[in-house]
Amino acid sequence: MAADWEEIRRLAADFQRAQFTDTVQRLSERNCIEIISKLVQDKKLDVLHTLDGKEYITPAQISREIRDELYVHGGRINIVDLQQIINVDWVHVENRASDIAKSDKGVQLVLGQLIDDTYLDRLAEEVNDKLQEAGLISIAELCKNYDLPGDFLSEELSKRLGKLIQGEMDQYNRGVIFTPAFVARHKARIRGLFSAITRPTPVSSMIGAFGFQEHLLYSVLEELVNTGRLKGSVVGGRQDKAVYIPDIYAKTQNTWVDSFLKQNGYLEFDALVRLGIPDPSSYIKKRFKSNKLLFLRAACVGQALVDQVEASVEEAVNSDTWTDIQPILPSCLSMEDVGILINQAMRNTNVQSSARVLGGTVVVSEKFISNCLSVFDEAMQQKAQKEVKNNPVFLISEDDMKQASMLTESLAPSKKEKREAERRKKASEGSGSVKSGGGGNAREIRIRKTKKKGRKDEDSDEDTGPSQQNRSKQTEALFMAQKEIAAVLEERVTDCPEEILSELAEHLLRPLSKAYQEVLRTVFMSSTSSPSGANKKKSMKDLQEEITNLYNNIRLFEKGTKFFSDETQVHISKHVLKTLCTDVTNILVNFLAADLMMSVENPSTISNEVRLKILGKLSEDTKGPLMKLHNCLNGKTIEDFLTNIETCAEVCGFMLKKGDKKKERQALFLHRQALTEQLKDTEDPALVLHLTSVLLFQASTHCMLHAPGRCVPQIIGTLTGRIPTEQQQLLSAYQSLVVKQLVSQSQSRKQEEAQGEADKAEEQDEEAGSVRTQLMGLTPQVKDLVLSQKKTPGTED
Amino acid sequence: MADEATRQAVSQIPLLKTHAGPRDRALWPQRLKEEYQALIRFVEQNKGADNDWFRLESNADGTRWTGTCWFIHELLRYEFRLEFDIPVTYPVTAPEVAVPELDGKTAKMYRGGKICLTDHFAPLWARNAPRFGLAHLMALGLGPWLAVEVPDLISKGLVVHKEQQRDAAAE
Repeated sequence: MAADWEEIRRLAADFQRAQFTDTVQRLSERNCIEIISKLVQDKKLDVLHTLDGKEYITPAQISREIRDELYVHGGRINIVDLQQIINVDWVHVENRASDIAKSDKGVQLVLGQLIDDTYLDRLAEEVNDKLQEAGLISIAELCKNYDLPGDFLSEELSKRLGKLIQGEMDQYNRGVIFTPAFVARHKARIRGLFSAITRPTPVSSMIGAFGFQEHLLYSVLEELVNTGRLKGSVVGGRQDKAVYIPDIYAKTQNTWVDSFLKQNGYLEFDALVRLGIPDPSSYIKKRFKSNKLLFLRAACVGQALVDQVEASVEEAVNSDTWTDIQPILPSCLSMEDVGILINQAMRNTNVQSSARVLGGTVVVSEKFISNCLSVFDEAMQQKAQKEVKNNPVFLISEDDMKQASMLTESLAPSKKEKREAERRKKASEGSGSVKSGGGGNAREIRIRKTKKKGRKDEDSDEDTGPSQQNRSKQTEALFMAQKEIAAVLEERVTDCPEEILSELAEHLLRPLSKAYQEVLRTVFMSSTSSPSGANKKKSMKDLQEEITNLYNNIRLFEKGTKFFSDETQVHISKHVLKTLCTDVTNILVNFLAADLMMSVENPSTISNEVRLKILGKLSEDTKGPLMKLHNCLNGKTIEDFLTNIETCAEVCGFMLKKGDKKKERQALFLHRQALTEQLKDTEDPALVLHLTSVLLFQASTHCMLHAPGRCVPQIIGTLTGRIPTEQQQLLSAYQSLVVKQLVSQSQSRKQEEAQGEADKAEEQDEEAGSVRTQLMGLTPQVKDLVLSQKKTPGTED
Repeated sequence: MADEATRQAVSQIPLLKTHAGPRDRALWPQRLKEEYQALIRFVEQNKGADNDWFRLESNADGTRWTGTCWFIHELLRYEFRLEFDIPVTYPVTAPEVAVPELDGKTAKMYRGGKICLTDHFAPLWARNAPRFGLAHLMALGLGPWLAVEVPDLISKGLVVHKEQQRDAAAE
């Protein structure tokens, strides 16, 4: 026990001793770090610490280690890998690496990698191996395999070409290296392939089909073509559209073109394009430098053909005829080209001024055209004569002349007008001038009937209306329509195609109408001087008589109107004003116009407008009263007209004698006579009714009546009570039938227009037929009413 | 719990064999001897590693231990007195080390300046009883505590380096 404690004491002492012995004087790690960092701070020591802070390293050591690592890694090492291996900060590694790259020529820093020459040499060797194996290697592929930039690779490899690498680089495309063997092989293939080609072939398609190297192909091809090994040419440069044309093909092409031109005298560009010549016109220019070819839009023409055309043009001009160039020319030439060719020919032969091209292909000499003009001289003269006779108002003024000529022209040739004129003449012949009133009346009726009779007549009526308007819009007085001219030409000029004729007519239209106007003027001037003084006097006497007659008739008619109600009276008055009064006015106006050399042969053709024009030209003292007279034609009462005409007649130097009883009776008689004659002749139910009613009226009232057709019912109404009842009944029955017929006619016309159903039309036809037969039956009876009665008043007379 | 260096150091300390407390009259001296041997070894080891950080001495029967410990922070040495008794139940119960100077300055301390050892230390001790001795107590208990608490206290300004002059004078 005690020993133990002894030992414990000793141990305690040992412990104290151990505690108080000096600690080993040794720098702890942190002191070391502190000291070194102090030294580095004071730049007394140049060391770097590793990333884990456990080691210090000198820059020289880093360089050495970098070199060692580079060697260990076979000459190529990434700086990132280096940094991990050396385990110092990236910045130091990079600095040292770039220092090394700078100082050592054999080492380069590429894309953050250190690469030395040995590596590159080995790489070149590898490349060479591959190249020998494949024959061709692309830099791009190498780039991918070795993960190096292409510029760097191609530069380094080109340095070693011929030394380490047995091959060559394409001078056009630096991206590829190939061996002479490969080139030779390629060349042989190209030579063989292109030797076999006999027709133009796009190079690009060959590349696709045979897997050629494009860059190599072009250079080899060029070389082969240039040395003459390949007989052919490459057209289109080095682009995709490059085409190889073998000489043999070009030769056949050329022979074809030559022979075609020789045989036909022309070349069509389209045909050349079809042959595979891309730019025909330049090709032709190159090929036929010596030949004089005329280039057109879509073809070119040989001298022979041009000569032929020139000859025919010349002939046409010299012989004053026309010629169609079309048959001489190849059919493939377009109208445009033909035009160019003809123009050229005309220019060459110097006949531009003496010939003209019509219809594109026909050359017509000017003399021929003027000959054509002379064809119309006679017709023109005749027409002018006619025109002047018909209408002297031509030269009233420039404008008026035109319009008036339109009017007369449109009126004069129309059948209707002619027929009217004829009929009017007949009436006046039959009943004498005194009866012209009745004639006028009849005409009015007839016009109305014909209008309703059928559509055709109406159409013709309407035709004259609008055409009148249309023509008045035209600026020139037409001599003949184009079609008419063409028709005339066709008669005179043999074997001319129609379209040429129409075009010729178009050409002639203007000169003809000009010439026509000239002729018209001269004819007019010569004709107006003809009426002599004696003639005038005689006509003066006649006129006086005629006017007096008409004046008296009008007075009588006015008396007749008094039997009717106001409304009907107005209608009848208007009718009288429009017919007889207008005639009288026209005669007066025409008389005055004759003084001014504007008279018309037939005064009745003077229309409202023409009358107004003439009036405008008259002297002041005659103008006033006549103007009034003209105005009251449009009025409603005959009295106004009568007072006006009296003053007018005075102004014009006529004497108006008021008829005495005897004369009145004579007039009455003549009027009835005329009407009766007409009644005998006519078969038209409406006209029969009209005439009958008028005659009955005259018989019962001893008054003359000049009424429009639509007043017939009123006339019959006034007759009531004045004639026997059975006559009255007959008349009204007949009237109703006439009305029915008119209605059915107008309906059937409407249906025709609407193209109504056949059944209905038939029904209508049946009905109309029955009405017609009834009318046929009644007509003689009605006629008898008057014709038999005639005797009674006749005996009374 | 402790850094690699401490672990290394602890592994070098010889483990104790005798299971005896101060009441065990027969075996306590034996135990005490082993304690001293372990301590000597630990101190030598520390000195060898330039890591000497405490002085200890006991009373005659080895039940009360006093001494100093120091901690170097920012190149300055902070020294504290330390004391502890061997508990009756030792070595099952670890002694409670006290640093009276720091009493009331840190939360990790019981009244009287007894340091509050980590949760890890107690089970570690319990697991290794009776083979752990005073040397282990210093290495695994006080050492880490100082390493954690002193810099904290210094940064809070609770511990000021006023002994600097005295150190200088002592040297």
